[in-house]
Parts: sequence; C-alpha cells; structure tokens
Amino acid sequence: MVETGHFALVLAFALSLVQTIVPLFGARLNNQRLMAVGGPVAVTGFALTALSFAALASAYASSDFSLANVWENSHSLQPMIYKITGTWGNHEGSMLLWVLILTFFGALVAAFGSNLPATLRANVLAVQGAIGAAFFLFILATSNPFIRLNPAPIEGRDLNPVLQDLGLAIHPPLLYLGYVGFSICFSFSVAALIEGRIDASWARWVRPWTLVAWMFLTGGIAMGSYWAYYELGWGGFWFWDPVENASFMPWLAGTALLHSAIVMEKRSALKIWTLLLAILTFSLSLLGTFLVRSGVLTSVHAFATDPTRGVFILCILTLFIGGSLALFALRASRLTAGGLFHPISREGALVLNNLFLTTATATVLVGTLYPLALEALTGDKISVGAPFFDLTFGPLMLPLLAIVPFGPLLAWKRGDVIAASQRLMAAFALALGAVLVTGLFVDGASVFAALGIGLAVWLVAGALTDLAVKSGVGSVAPSVMFRRFAGLPRSVFGTALAHLGLGLTLLGIVATLSFGTEKILTMRAGETVELSGHTLRFVGLYPTQGPNYSEDRGRFELIGVSGSPVGEISSAKRFFPVRQTTTTESGIKTLGLSQLYISLGDENKDGSVVVRLWWKPLVTLIWGGGLVMMAGAAMSLMDRRLRVGAPSRRRKQASTAAPVALP
Amino acid sequence: MTRKQKRLSVIAGGLAFLGAATGLTFYALGQKASYFYMPADLTTASVQPGQRIRLGGLVEKGTIQRGQGATVAFSVTDTHKSVKVTYTGILPDLFREEQGVITEGTFGPDGVFVADSVLAKHDERYMPKEVADGLKAKGVWQESKSD
Amino acid sequence: MLFWVIAAILTLGASLAVLLPLAAGPNRESSSGDHDLEVYRDQLSELDRDAARGLIQPAEAAEARAEIGRRILRLDNADAAGKASTRQVTSRLVATVAVLAVPLVSWGVYSRIGSPDLPSQPLSQRLAKNPADSSVDELVARAEAHLAANPADGRGWDVLAPVYLRMQRFSDAVAAYRNAIRLDGDSGMRQAGLGEAIAGAAGGIVSADAQDAFEAALKLDPANAKASFYLAMALAQEGRNKEAATAWQAMLGTLPPDSPWRDAVEKALVKSEGPEAGSSAAVKGPDAADVDNASSLSPQDREAMINTMVAGLDEKLRQNPRDPEGWMRLVRSYVVLGKADQARDALGRAISVFGAGSDEAKKLTAFAASLGLAATE
Repeated sequence: MVETGHFALVLAFALSLVQTIVPLFGARLNNQRLMAVGGPVAVTGFALTALSFAALASAYASSDFSLANVWENSHSLQPMIYKITGTWGNHEGSMLLWVLILTFFGALVAAFGSNLPATLRANVLAVQGAIGAAFFLFILATSNPFIRLNPAPIEGRDLNPVLQDLGLAIHPPLLYLGYVGFSICFSFSVAALIEGRIDASWARWVRPWTLVAWMFLTGGIAMGSYWAYYELGWGGFWFWDPVENASFMPWLAGTALLHSAIVMEKRSALKIWTLLLAILTFSLSLLGTFLVRSGVLTSVHAFATDPTRGVFILCILTLFIGGSLALFALRASRLTAGGLFHPISREGALVLNNLFLTTATATVLVGTLYPLALEALTGDKISVGAPFFDLTFGPLMLPLLAIVPFGPLLAWKRGDVIAASQRLMAAFALALGAVLVTGLFVDGASVFAALGIGLAVWLVAGALTDLAVKSGVGSVAPSVMFRRFAGLPRSVFGTALAHLGLGLTLLGIVATLSFGTEKILTMRAGETVELSGHTLRFVGLYPTQGPNYSEDRGRFELIGVSGSPVGEISSAKRFFPVRQTTTTESGIKTLGLSQLYISLGDENKDGSVVVRLWWKPLVTLIWGGGLVMMAGAAMSLMDRRLRVGAPSRRRKQASTAAPVALP
Repeated sequence: MTRKQKRLSVIAGGLAFLGAATGLTFYALGQKASYFYMPADLTTASVQPGQRIRLGGLVEKGTIQRGQGATVAFSVTDTHKSVKVTYTGILPDLFREEQGVITEGTFGPDGVFVADSVLAKHDERYMPKEVADGLKAKGVWQESKSD
Repeated sequence: MLFWVIAAILTLGASLAVLLPLAAGPNRESSSGDHDLEVYRDQLSELDRDAARGLIQPAEAAEARAEIGRRILRLDNADAAGKASTRQVTSRLVATVAVLAVPLVSWGVYSRIGSPDLPSQPLSQRLAKNPADSSVDELVARAEAHLAANPADGRGWDVLAPVYLRMQRFSDAVAAYRNAIRLDGDSGMRQAGLGEAIAGAAGGIVSADAQDAFEAALKLDPANAKASFYLAMALAQEGRNKEAATAWQAMLGTLPPDSPWRDAVEKALVKSEGPEAGSSAAVKGPDAADVDNASSLSPQDREAMINTMVAGLDEKLRQNPRDPEGWMRLVRSYVVLGKADQARDALGRAISVFGAGSDEAKKLTAFAASLGLAATE
C-alpha cells in the first residue's frame, strides 16, 4: 500500500509533465486531439495524487514506522484523530496536501470546463500542469514523505505537541484551499497572456474561482487566528508574525482581485489590471509558501529547515513569478482596454478599493521582507511588529472601511454620491449614536475606541442599508418589498454579508483591544479573583494522565451573583514525555459573545500558581465575522449569474441541455 | 475641466496617495522597528532608556528568581556579558535555563531590562534564529550535525 | 509481486488517459467567438431580469444593452482572424513523446527512489505476528501496547519489569515494579528488583530509596540474595568496607553452592579488600560490572573513573569512528550518566560519520529514541 502510494506520486509527476506540454502544443498548433489530452490527464493525475495521499494517511493511521516521515511525526499512543491530522502536520505531508488540492482544482477545471473555448481550456490546464510538475518535482527531490526505514523503529517520535489539536485538522487544509485556489486565477491569466486575448468567458470563470479561493483563505486565516489564540496561551489573536503576514498578503490582494473582477465581468473594464492582480495574488501565495517552507522564517510552521528546499522553492518562485510577469510585460499591450467610466461610480469605488488594498498589501510586504533584506545587506537584525503595522496598515484601512457602504449603492458608469449619502443617513446616525454612547457612557473608553465602535456599526448598518434600499424599503408596499427582497440576486446578499462580516470582525477587534482587561497574579487553592465583574475561584491543581501526555489541570469556578458556582473553567500544563515538551492548554469560557480566558503558569515552591486571566469582550465576533464573510462568498457563488452556458450549437447537440453549474 | 485634465488629476491624486503611503511606511520603519541585540552588543551600541529593543541570548544558569507575585527576574547572557531582565507574566513553556530566549522591551533607568514579552521557541528542536546566529558569530555555540 | 501488478495497472491507466483522447475522432471545433457570444447573450438576459426587478433604471439598462451590443459587433470582426493550419508532423511527434513519457518517466524515477521490496508495516500487524520472529524491542512494544490498554494487569508489569532492567531502561523498570507491587502485592523478588532498578537509575548508587526496597525484600524473603548483596554494596559505598566484607562473607556461608550470586560476591569481596586494579581497560564502555566496580569507590573517585572510561571510549571513537556498537555504548553511557546533551552530541557525531540517512544512522537514531533521546538539528 505504501509503495503503491509512492509509485502513484511518481506517476502523477509524469502525468503533470504531459499535462504541461501536450495541451500547450495543441493550442499552438490548433490541434483538437492534443488539446483534448489535458482534461483526462488532469483528472487521472488528481486520482493518482489522491491515492498517494490516502496511502500516506493510512500509514499514519496504522503507525507504520517504516516510513521515516511517520516515524518522525507520529506516536502509536496518539489519539486516532491526531494520527490522521499528523499526515499534514509536517513539511512533507503538507506539501503533498498542497499538490493534492492543486490537482483537485485542475481536475475541476477539466471536468466542468467543457463550456470554455478549447484553446483557453488547454492553456489553463497546461499552466496548472506546470505548477503541479514543479511541486511534484520539489516533493520527490527534497521532501519525499515515502522515504523508508529498514528495519523500522518500533516507536515514533511524536507529533509536535503544539500541533496536537483539532485546529490542525482544519487550519492547513482551509488555508491551502485558499492559496491553491488562486492558482486557477493565475493559470487563467497566464493562459490569456499566452493567447494574447481575453475571452468574454474569462471573467465569468475567474470570478467564481476567486470567490472560492477567497472564501477558504478567509476561513483558513480566521481558523489559524483562533487556533493561535487558544493554543499558544498568550491571549492574542493576531501577532503580525511574518508567517501570518504570509497568508494575509494573498488575502488582501485576493480581496482586491475579487472586486476588480466584478468590474471586469460587468463592464469589461480593468482587464489588464485584473489579470495582473491575479498573477500577483498567486505570486504572494507562492511567496508565502517560500517564506514558511524555506526556513527563512523560523516559527511553529517551519517544521524542518533545509537549505536545499529553500533554494528549490526560490527557483519555483522565480520561474513562475518572473515568467508570468515577463509574459505580462510582453503581451499586456496586445489586450484591448475596456469600457470607460466616471470616477464617481461603482467602478470608481471599486478602483479606490483596489488602490487601498494593494497599497496595504505593499506595506505588509515591506514590513515582512524589510527585516530579511536589511539582515542580508547590513547584518542588522530588526523586528517589525504591531507598532509598525498600526502606523501604516491602520491609516490605510480606516478610510477604506469608511467608504465601503457607499460602493454597493453607487450606480455603474456614473454614480450619485449625494443620493447614496441620503440613503445612508440612517446608518450614519446609528454609527454616530454608537460613538456617542461609547464615548460618554462606557468607562475608560478612548476616542479611538469610540470611533472604532462607530466605524464597525457604520459597516454593519451600511450593509443592511444596501439590502433595504435594493428591496425598496420605504418606497414600495410591504408585500412588494418582501417579494423584491426574496428575488434579489444572491450576489447582492453575498456583498451585504461580506461587508457585514467585516463590520463584525472590526467590532470584535476594537472591543477586545479597548475594553479587554487582564490580570496576572499568583493564586492558591481556594482563593478568588475578580475581573471585570466576574468572580473566579481557584479550586486547585489536579494531575491527570492523557494518552501520550500527563497534565496538571488547574480548575477554576465561576462564581455567580448568589455566591454559588455557575460554571467551571480549567487550564492545564501538559507534559509530553517523548519530545520532553510542555504545552499550556488555556481555559476559555464563552459568555454570550465575550470570553473569559485563563492561562496557567508555573507552580511556585509554596504551592501557589501563577495565573493570567483575561476578559475579552465580544472577542468571538472576530472569528464570527470571518464566518459571515465566508457565508457571503458562498452566497455569491450560488448566484445564477456565475453559471455560463455552453455555445448554443453544442447545446443542441448534447443531451445535457442545461447550462453547467460552476464549479 | 476637459477629459484630459480630469484624467491627469485622477492620476496625480493616485500618485500623491502612493507617495504618502510610501513615506509613511519608511517613516514607520525608522521609528517603529525594534533592533535585536545580544548582551555583548550593548557595550558598543547606544541604546537609550525607553528605546524599544529586542534582547536575545541564553537564560543564564541559576539566575531565575521568582519575585513578588508573577514577576520573574533572570539574566540573559551570550557568555561574554549578561544583562538582568525582569518580566511580569507567564513565561513560555519552553523557557528553561541555558535555553535561547528573545525578550522585547526597554531598559529602565537602573539598567535593568524590563521585558514585556518573552519568547522561547515554539519547537524545542530549534534555537531562535537570531540567537543561534549571534552565538555562532561569537563562537559559543556550534551547530551539531545530525539529520 | 502484487505491488508490480498494481504498478503496471496504474501505469496502464495513466497511459490510457493520454492515449484515448489522442486516438479519438476529431472533436467538432467551436470557435471562441461562439463562446463569447454565449456569454454576451447571458449578460443580456441577466440585464433584462435586473431591469424587470427594478434593480436598475430603464435608462441605465438601455445604455448597458447598447454596450453589450457593441461588444457583439466587435466580436464578429475579431473572429474573422484565420486559424493556424494543423501541422501533422509536429503533432504526431508530441503525441508519441507524451505517450512514451508516462511509463518511462514513472518507472525511471521510481526505480531510483522507490523501495518496492519493503512491505507496509502497520504497528498492529507487527505486534500480532509470531513472537518468535520478533525482536526484543518489538516484544517490549507489544507488552507496552497491551499494558497501555490494560494498565491494571499486574502480571504484565511483573513480566515486563525485569526485561526493562536488562535493557537498562531503569526508570521504566522502576515504574513497572511499582505497578506490579501495587497491583499484585509485595514479594521479595519484586522489592529486590525495584531496589536494583532504583540503583541502576542512579548510576549504580544504592540510595536510601533503594535500601528501603532491599530491606523490604529481605523482610519478605530473608534468603533473597540480590537484596543482601546490594545492601552490602550500600555499606561499601558509604565507606564501611569492613562491614560490607563481613556481610558478603556471611552471604557466602548461606548461599547454595550453585547460586549465580557466588561469583559476584567473591568478586566484590576481592575488590573491597584488594587495591584497585586501575583503569587499564579504559577504552571499554562502562558495563554493568564496571559500574559495580566503580560503586565501591568514594563518590568523587567513582565519578572520575566513570568519566575517564567514557572519555576513553569517546577518544577511541574519534580515532576509529566507524564502529556502530561503540557509538551505541557511548550514547547509552552518557544517557545513563544523565548527560543528555553529550549523548545528543555523540549521536550527532555518529550520524555525521555514517552520513544522515544511512542505515547505521537510522539504527542509531532509533536506538537513541528508545533511550528517550531525540536527535537535535
């Protein structure tokens, strides 16, 4: 089984080479047969990669220590769920997951791409195949998970305890679905450049793919943030860590792409820009992969650092980013520009959005790469953290967020700001009210906090206003209004939900940063502590034994108004003997949308324990907002506009008369 | 305004915006980035009290003292010099004697480094990169070869 | 064999994925203009829907309709561009190369990097196979798995404890003996074993804890030779050589003539009386006898002696590094001495001698892991 997986991986590599070369020649020679090879090869390549991944996962599940990779990252006593998630909890396995998703998306294009012009489809599959070939080669040459040990050791070295968490089951796959999803947009862009023309169906394909990738990337980042929040025990949700930035940059660029693709689809404008953004977004995904995988940055994500891997990924990076940008420079002038528009219009608002988002991406990029460049040039080591990003990223985001509610209310081509402002009066009043209430009635509220809350309320109310205006609230009879509301295109709901989610996330961030409280103290069993109106009693430390760790669990009781306990929170120090590592399991109690967060420190000689407590008001909204944004993307994806019919001539021929749904 | 003038003003506005963003970015890099030092570097570098820096090295053996409440004092050393550090909070799980750490904070007027964050590596297999490089440069620490 | 059949089938399937489209009849071509037209039609109908729903003003709708119409007109012009003629020779060449590439690349690469002869080895299967074929490590692992599932099986702990002791996994042996005593009750043998394990974990020093265990053993079984022997050893370690010698003499009087302990007692007696033989055997690793030997010295001397021996072994391995057994001894010695860093360093050096990824390196790493030691980067 194991070797079958290994062989399937090699075979998938061979197929990816065929997938790169044959359709490309087919498109150049206009040979239908050669072009037709792309589809079946892409699907078969995916099936083989899936077989390979299944073989590795089953080796993990059955603790087959004859695989070096399993031996290094698994232990027979681990719970089954962590045995399986351990498959991608290491460098080799996660790269295999990466190509699995890549080939999966390639197979989707092959399977549902019958309505694409044949040459476009062939070129897209060829570019997709080339990316696949590069990464298959990378895996086989430097990161092969199927290296065997003979004789096999009898026990493994355990998965890094920090990764033994349900978060690992969800975070990397979501993130990769996002990263790799943008590869399709990239392939479409490069295919368009190779052909020297952009088909009308181009934007209709790129937009849903951007939506899919953006949706998963949003989820992946939100999940990663929540995981870091509860697993690392520092109570923070975002650290401006270079590795986090590596996933945030494609998200920002992807958000810009999402918006410019709308302009392109609706108005055929911004074609060249959209194409460039698609290339840049995937390039940032590749850059993220490089930064995380090469060992340039050390962090929890750098499973193992190996210079050859870094050099290899750098080569892939140069090849694809450099190659695509060179192609862009050569061919972009051939592409025809699209429709014109007035600066004050939906298009204008989206351009402004793109300007802010790409500039913000650039500042994050500078903040992430500048320390690396400085160290390489002068040897000085600096760290660029939250203070830098507060000063640069913050001022860019605030005006952008302030204009978000205007965008959907402006008409295409030529908009009317005054009319839009009048419609937003209610939302503005609400936001102003929120500022005043926060500023005047909440203790310890700073000007920043009041304005931040106001901005968040403005976003939420603005999103709702959009829906209200479009269903005709106040101008038509209620029955008509409901009919209109129900009949609104899904994409309108999608937009509103995404903007609403953004507002919720902002609300969570501002509330947590401004009104959160924390305490550090030493406690003995029986002592109580009060934090922002909540009383906690430390019950004591209880040693317990887990499957592959032992832990000291500190139990706390939440004391209600009556003086009796109303809930329990427990935080633990876990010791994993195989790796000689201790981890902290934070204790979290969700009260409404807010959370009490407890992190246990070391035990002192006198039996008292250092305890750190946080009160985090509305903190769950940070990730809840992310979920709402994902829901918005999903809603948009269901819009019928994103379904493209095949040419009618074929529609008559084929028995499948219905338009094919995407993806 | 003619169409051309309009277009020019839009482009000028965009460029001004980008210029402002660039200026802000480099201003922030100058002001808000914190430099990384090893204890021995501090004799040559001039670090003002109150200037945010990152201080890295090994936790010197036998210097960890738990004081009042959750305050901990320890020394960070590169074996040439050591610097006293105080920190209030929960030390990371991987914080141990003779292990690499990076602390971030400012020097107080009394010459004691007051850290507001202490990082040990997430993964015990690695030294913090800055610390490893610094120690290697000083010939204190040698990378052991292994797979 | 099965593997090769599967590999052949997979290769065949992959080749067919390339071959079938090439062999199929020519597809009906559709020009990209048809596709574009379809999209524009779609946009027009969408526009009509939006207009009917009142989402856009009639004037805007008319304007948008005109714009789409212009795009359709432009399309007809663009589509007139001619098509490249099909070049048959090049196409055939590409097709042939592609079909051949699949088996050639895959079998070529796999034969270089694969291990087709190695079967999968799921742990449960390895533990379920005939015990006679298993290595000691596997047997122990099997017992450990059984005990992890049934931690209340006292007999299991009782069986495993002496095995640990022999493998020099002293702290595991301590835990196992304690479990056996807790679950199956006291016995002289268990207490004596516990004492030996505690002493072993402390590098041969019979500590107070170990003495307690030995005394408990003698209380349960006054004839327990191991307990008597180690208690005498404890006396010797405290420098009370005379008393130790007396105790050993007394043992000689009571031990049956075929007792395996006779030999050990006699040796100990010689050592406790005669002058030290010195460390002529310095290149040898400190085996159990040497540690015993060392334990009759004062603590400082003992430490010095053990260190000399280990250093000697270390030195020998520097000169003659290709000696896997020697490296294992060295790593184990450092682990036993509690010098984890040096053990790790030795392991690192050993691996660099044999080359990372070599069989010896893997064996060494596995061995070290079985001692609870992980290689460092």
